[in-house]
Amino acid sequence: MLKKKKKDSILPKDPIGSETAPAAAPAQGSSAPIKLELLITIVEKKKAEFYLDLIQSFDVNFQFSEPAHGTAKADILDYLGLADSDKTVIFSVVRSDRLDELMYTLDMKFRTIRDGKGVSVSVPFSSMIGTSVYAFLCNAVETVGGVK
Amino acid sequence: MSGNESGYEMIFCIINSGFSETLMDAAREAGARGGTVMRARGTAGKEAEEIFSITVHPDKEVVMILVPKTIKDAVLNAVYKSVGMGTAGQGIAFSLPVNKTVGLQ
Repeated sequence: MLKKKKKDSILPKDPIGSETAPAAAPAQGSSAPIKLELLITIVEKKKAEFYLDLIQSFDVNFQFSEPAHGTAKADILDYLGLADSDKTVIFSVVRSDRLDELMYTLDMKFRTIRDGKGVSVSVPFSSMIGTSVYAFLCNAVETVGGVK
Repeated sequence: MSGNESGYEMIFCIINSGFSETLMDAAREAGARGGTVMRARGTAGKEAEEIFSITVHPDKEVVMILVPKTIKDAVLNAVYKSVGMGTAGQGIAFSLPVNKTVGLQ
C-alpha cells in the first residue's frame, strides 16, 4: 500500500536548495543536505493504519506497508493468549533530522497503546539519484513549489 | 550517512516459500530471538537460470531478523548452512547496519 501525503499538510522546518541547484548544495543556514533513513516498523496488523498516519505526520511523504507474520510458535502464542501473529511491516523514508523525535514518539506509543507493541529500526541511505525525488522524500515543499 | 549506533544489525533472508521455519530454527540455535516473514515474488532472467543451472521458484519469503552485532556472523552462517544456495531453500542472506532502534524492551 502506497501512501502519499497532501502537499499542504506540513511545511519543512529547514527547506533545502532549489530544483535548479543540486540537492547536495548547502541549504540556507545549514552546511549539508538533509540525510535520509529507511525506517522499518513492525506492528500488529490491526494497528498498521494508526502507525502509518503517525509516521506520516513527521514530514514523511513516502511509505508502503506489507503484510507479514511473526515467527513465534503456536505454543508460545497460546501461552501468551495471542490469537495470531499477523503483522504489518511499514517501510518509511524519513529525514534524519526528524528521526529522533519520531522514534521517541513511536517508543511512547509502543509502550502505552493496547495491542500497540512494535519494533522500529532505521537504516541509513547511502546514496540517491534525482533532485526532485530527493526533495519529495525530504518534504521540501518550497523547493518543488516552483517546478511546473 | 554512516554509523551503526544501535549495536544491532538487520538480517534479510530471501528463501523459497515454506522454508522460514527451517531458517528460524537455525537462527534461534545461533542466538536469534525471532523474526518477521513477508511473502514475496522472485524474478530471474531465463538466460541466467540456464547458465548457472538454477531454477528460480517465483514464490519467496523474506525473513527479517534483528540481531545484536555480536551474533550476526553466527546467524548468517547458520542460515547459510540450513537454507543457503546449496539447499532446497535456495536462500540468500545479507545484513544491513541499523542506526537506531525502539521497542526492543
